[in-house]
Amino acid sequence: MRAFNAELSKLFSLPGMWLAFLIGAFAPAAIAALDSIAEKEEIIAGVSIRLSEVGYIGLGLGVQGIIILGVLAVSSEYLTESSESGGGNQITTSLTVVSSRFHFLLAKAGAVTVTSALLSIVAILATVSATNLILGEYAPAFEASRLIGVVCYWTFTALLAFGITVLTKNGMIPLTVLIINSSVVTVSYLLTKVTKLAFYLPDRAGTDMLMSGGFHTPFTGGLIMFAWVAVLFIIADIVFDRRDVAS
Amino acid sequence: MSVSSRRKITQILGAELDKLITLPLIWFTIMGTFIINLVLTRAFTSAGLQGAAGTQSILNIGLASMGYLQAGFIILGILATCSEYTGGQIRTTLTTIPWRGFQLSAKHLALAIITIPVAFIIAASGVLYAFIMMRDTAVVIEIDIMIKTIAGATGYLTLTTLLSAAIGALLRRTTPALVVLLGYYFIVSPLLRDFLPSSKNYFPDTAGSYMYMPPSSDEINVLTPMQGTGISMLWTLIFITVAIVFYRKRDA
Amino acid sequence: MLLYNENHNRKEVLWLLTINNLVKHRGKQEILSGVSFKARPGRVTGFLGPNGAGKSSTLRILLGLDRATSGSALINGVPFAELQNPLATVGAALDGFGAHRMRTGRAHLRWIARAAGLSRSRVEEVLEIVDLTKVAGKRVGNYSLGMGRRLGMAAALLGDPKILVLDEPVNGLDPEGIRWIRTFLRERAASGKTVLLSSHLMGELAETVDDVVIINHGKVVAEGTLEEVIGNHATLEEAFFALTSEHAGDAV
Repeated sequence: MRAFNAELSKLFSLPGMWLAFLIGAFAPAAIAALDSIAEKEEIIAGVSIRLSEVGYIGLGLGVQGIIILGVLAVSSEYLTESSESGGGNQITTSLTVVSSRFHFLLAKAGAVTVTSALLSIVAILATVSATNLILGEYAPAFEASRLIGVVCYWTFTALLAFGITVLTKNGMIPLTVLIINSSVVTVSYLLTKVTKLAFYLPDRAGTDMLMSGGFHTPFTGGLIMFAWVAVLFIIADIVFDRRDVAS
Repeated sequence: MSVSSRRKITQILGAELDKLITLPLIWFTIMGTFIINLVLTRAFTSAGLQGAAGTQSILNIGLASMGYLQAGFIILGILATCSEYTGGQIRTTLTTIPWRGFQLSAKHLALAIITIPVAFIIAASGVLYAFIMMRDTAVVIEIDIMIKTIAGATGYLTLTTLLSAAIGALLRRTTPALVVLLGYYFIVSPLLRDFLPSSKNYFPDTAGSYMYMPPSSDEINVLTPMQGTGISMLWTLIFITVAIVFYRKRDA
Repeated sequence: MLLYNENHNRKEVLWLLTINNLVKHRGKQEILSGVSFKARPGRVTGFLGPNGAGKSSTLRILLGLDRATSGSALINGVPFAELQNPLATVGAALDGFGAHRMRTGRAHLRWIARAAGLSRSRVEEVLEIVDLTKVAGKRVGNYSLGMGRRLGMAAALLGDPKILVLDEPVNGLDPEGIRWIRTFLRERAASGKTVLLSSHLMGELAETVDDVVIINHGKVVAEGTLEEVIGNHATLEEAFFALTSEHAGDAV
């Protein structure tokens, strides 16, 4: 528990984290607001085909913030780009403070989970109030089950980012792959055109939790994504346990 | 220009090229981009083969991965400038080459020298792959259009790389630069295209896309490749200038 | 404060370092409040002070890395950025490695040599001088602290400069390395070159330097030859504590 608290305070003292919070908490609401304004007339006229999607697009894109959070939580341990330090490795300090590497990783993952879950709830509240403010009585009803899906999607994405970064030690690769893949046209979407197996990729399965009419039911979608997270965490732990700290 | 200052410029350019070439991360990025581009092109090609035969242009398929491909070049640009700030190398750089405006311009020039052939090879490899796979089914295209398009793609990727390098020099840290640039190219820009359709042609990426996009008649306010190049180049130059101004003013 | 023999011949005066009433603000904090001193050719000048006293800030301004709020730091009467051939004039090794972690030591020195128009054989020479030839092919990230410092020294010596500016040169060196650097710096000074080094290690310094400048809270509190600064105190260390704690008392 002490390690967990330490990880939380490490997380909140990272400068990049404010960017993550800003994007995570407010971008979805801003996008939902813009989307609502653009769709308002059609929604009021009752001809909008995207009524049920309003708000969720923003929440789908808001994972950007959460990706940054997951990546930074790990990459900050390895690299500092300050001109004064000749490559400071915080990881050495961290691992002398918490001796068990498994506990260290677990505490860190716990801190990421809690933070991203809280952040997603803030984002949902902001999004719902933004759409209600603009669309008034025409605002779509947000179903609880889908909102839980959003929380799960965000948290799992953060943990995926976390796990990949443990493997790569460098923030650039996971950041690039995940940001691109949560963009408007994702690589995995393209792959679904080639093979049905692509529907089992974590992000494809995960989005089925929030978008209606997916390949999987929301529940199986969530389960598949969770399986990815679990497998990745196990691999990350094995690799992390075996490697020399400084390398 | 005097002989000594011309020699100095060659020396600085040589040093900046040396720096880029001896950085393994640059090579990893280039190799990674090349391989991933081929994989994506393969996916697009097989998707295209399954689609209606004959209606797909080889160029469209071969360059369909451009959207993702540019990410590799964004990273390349960021690495080139942000790597200065790893391990305090910037201090060595500035005590060796204290003429800051010169130095940063030389870095952009060196980056362009490396990027142009790389971008050309990567763009051409995608088109070539699509050509080999689809020559039986797709519409035959003329060789000069193909060369023009690949040259346009090369230009676009190079400008994107230089713009990213300028942003990297402004922000000095890899992660924020990466988030800002990828966020813009992959999230903000596609959204802005929907919300502000009237001004979308003036963004660096959308304007630049006319450099390689085959001309289509179904859009009203399209730009010619030359206009696209001009606008994209203007953005790049503005950002490089801003980066140099800040670079000269601030503490290293 | 002290009288010097002003009858230096012309050549020696050329390599004089003049710090004149340097003031530096960072945010609301005043880091340097009017620092003035000189470092003379043929002598090793020790720049002493506790952590955070302003040693590094002064050296960074001298090397053109940071900008002074007011005042000047001149090398032979000109600011660093206006030197015609900086690497052959001033060799600098600041705290840290000053090199990118993923480059090899040799590649690091080679780009510096390229920037200054020096030959590759000179790189091998300085590698030999600092005893890094064996690990020159390894990445800087794998270097120990001492090896990193040696690499910094190698970069400083590359242009065989008239002036050496070293920030905490003995930091991280083993006893053998410290001894080597001491002899080395004495030799440089004996051949008429200027050496300015900062340190907070009194014992090491007392055996190396001719002149001493003591700085505390951004102000010079003593300047003179080693004997003069020590004055009635038993050692340099005692003089240092007497001077710096006195001053701290004033500031409160």
